Amino acid sequence: MNEKNERIVFDVAFQPQVRTDRDTRSLMLDVIIALLPVLVVGVWQFGTHPLLVVACSIAACVFFEWGYRKLLHKEQSIGDLSAVVTGLLLGLSMPSTTPAWVPVVGAFFAIVVVKQLYGGIGKNFLNPALAGRAFLLSSYSILMSTWAVPKSLQGTVDGVTMATPLSYLYGDAAMPKYFSFQSLFLGNTPGSVGEVSTLILIAACIYLIVRKVISWRIPVSFVGTVFVLTLLFGRNGDHFDFALYNVLSGALLLVAVFMATDYSTSPVTIGGQLLYGFGCGAITVLIRYFGGFPEGTTYAVLIMNLCTWAIDKGFHRRQFGVSKEDIAKEKAQKMAAKEAAK
Amino acid sequence: MSHTFKGGVHPNYMKAPEIPVTVITPPAQVVIPMTQHIGAPCQPLVKKGDVVTMGQKIGENPAPVSAPVHSPVSGKVVAVEPRPHPFGDNIMSVVIENDYQDTPCTDLAPLTEEQLKDPDAILERIREAGVVGMGGAMFPTAFKIRGGIGKVDKLIINGAECEPYLNGDHLTMLNFSEELLRGIELVRIASGVEKAYYGIEVNKQDAIDKLNSLHPEKYGIEIVPEAVKYPQGGEKMQVKAVTGREVKPGGLPSGVGANVVSTRTCYAIYQACYEGKPVIERIVSVAGSALKAPVNALTRVGTPLGYLAEQCGGFVKTPRKLVLGGPMMGICATDLAAPTIKGISGVLYFTEEEDKHVDNPTCIRCGKCIEVCPMNLEPVFLYMYYSKGDYANLEKYHVNDCFECGSCAYNCPARMPLTHAFKTAKLMLSAKAAADKAKEAK
Repeated sequence: MNEKNERIVFDVAFQPQVRTDRDTRSLMLDVIIALLPVLVVGVWQFGTHPLLVVACSIAACVFFEWGYRKLLHKEQSIGDLSAVVTGLLLGLSMPSTTPAWVPVVGAFFAIVVVKQLYGGIGKNFLNPALAGRAFLLSSYSILMSTWAVPKSLQGTVDGVTMATPLSYLYGDAAMPKYFSFQSLFLGNTPGSVGEVSTLILIAACIYLIVRKVISWRIPVSFVGTVFVLTLLFGRNGDHFDFALYNVLSGALLLVAVFMATDYSTSPVTIGGQLLYGFGCGAITVLIRYFGGFPEGTTYAVLIMNLCTWAIDKGFHRRQFGVSKEDIAKEKAQKMAAKEAAK
Repeated sequence: MSHTFKGGVHPNYMKAPEIPVTVITPPAQVVIPMTQHIGAPCQPLVKKGDVVTMGQKIGENPAPVSAPVHSPVSGKVVAVEPRPHPFGDNIMSVVIENDYQDTPCTDLAPLTEEQLKDPDAILERIREAGVVGMGGAMFPTAFKIRGGIGKVDKLIINGAECEPYLNGDHLTMLNFSEELLRGIELVRIASGVEKAYYGIEVNKQDAIDKLNSLHPEKYGIEIVPEAVKYPQGGEKMQVKAVTGREVKPGGLPSGVGANVVSTRTCYAIYQACYEGKPVIERIVSVAGSALKAPVNALTRVGTPLGYLAEQCGGFVKTPRKLVLGGPMMGICATDLAAPTIKGISGVLYFTEEEDKHVDNPTCIRCGKCIEVCPMNLEPVFLYMYYSKGDYANLEKYHVNDCFECGSCAYNCPARMPLTHAFKTAKLMLSAKAAADKAKEAK
């Protein structure tokens, strides 16, 4: 026999011997691709300052993740791009006028405290970007709720800052004419840089679903719950208009598509995802109705993040080969045995 | 609408059925392991110096779960000793020096007209010809069919060939259509059922058309087109796709009145009954980036893996992994001197190119493993229990239902060794059960 062949030392591994091309990095890259048009709309409405904010946010997130793992002699993980996604989302959830150092503070909290202290990607139980935003909201509440007039409304509205549609809903005030459904849908509205255009966010959501990065369950059940609850318990004027305004304004879509669907902090079971989306929606409506803020999505998702593990426990799948009838039969038999023992 | 199951993946198929079959010249020395099936190993019937003919029985065991082995060439026995087995370890083997005469053995005559209609005669011949599950399970076929008589009302022939790279079943359907249908008819008669359902994935439409043009209903066969999805060829998935029934946990398909026999097994049964030919050769799909081009090789049993690669053009790159069967469920071999055996449908010589191994992978909890598991398991949680050594929860959440199709690990973006973990977990559980039993006995 060929001597050269016999000297080869072969690797061994259990099956499968082939893997899909889709890895963590490519999933994260898809999220980044989906977020880029969202950023473009933000720049179109609020000028180039948001670009600086987002860049600082991304750089800070990547730096903190790299530094933390370097300092603790852990394997580097910035290559998976998850820190870039966190930075991008954090930057996009800021008002357009935020000074560039603000997201850096938020990035430290998000990456070091929320993500890395619990072991890094896959192990954190709160969404880092949302937790970072919540941290900033309570630390710099004025900076975080000053809304610049978007370019499309300059001339219509006097001054540099203005109230968001959500605050009209919150204050039970009549909605000004310039906040038409169409302008909210297209993005002619004040708000965080990434949240203004419902149209672009729906497109991003479809992209992520088609690319199988996320499933439809969480965004649809989240937004659907907000719509149905506000429709049923509308507060002023036409219930349908009220419900539609609730869905179109604020960060609802940005949060429902990009943050509530975060892998580590949302359920993995089918029923669990639907319940989680419902919970997010219900808490959002509760906060918008009875809470201290006009917006409720951030805290709603953070609260549901904390319930994720418990929710998954309640939705185990049916065992293959065991039908519902089988389970019922087994239960009946057990009950009968108990009765007999008595 | 084509038939299918829930879950599964769409791997890169890499199939090459358009490449015509190459007949591999048998090597100067063949190595025939006495273990080429699940069950009792054969005892050698020949000794060093004996002259054997092609197709002569050289090993056998009277136990019911066993299958005899035959010489694939004519020549002289030069050694009866343990030799490297493709699945690892050294196993008692008969080494035969090929005289290149292919002098046929006349022990097995073709069955007569009456015998071809007699279930007992067919089953006896299936056993004598050493037919085993040639899809890879290598379970003695005669025992399997006999065990299903009276219980089975749905006989399913497995033509899914859902594993990437493999073409043997497809080529058999195209090149030996009529013979294949006759083989299936024999299995149907032996099983005592009126009808056989032949499940074929629709990526083999040419084969489906050809078989349908030969009026399969004449043989009591219905062709069932199936969706292209791995692991459609898994026994439980075939039963689900064709009958809608789910095999009970820990049970056999016959428990729900079904039996699954593979395409190549049916063809082997045709050869055994109509031609008096035992199982001594099969189509092996040879591929992988270490070779220049894939080859569909008609290979005698006992051909060493290194020799096979040479006959298929030799290595253009140094192989890193030697995979027997398809890449999803195939087993790694470590020795190029080990021979092919009856159940090996493919030999893949992989290099770094196919390798997507990651050191210290990290689960990102995406749940992509859950949606593809055909057995309704939740690999993400099972892996957690496995890492913690949590036997109770592994058992509670049915790790024993895992049949190691590899879909979860295939689909894992983080490259977690999921299937590996569950395979190990099952071994740990059965070892623990045995230890507990021993303790109780004391």
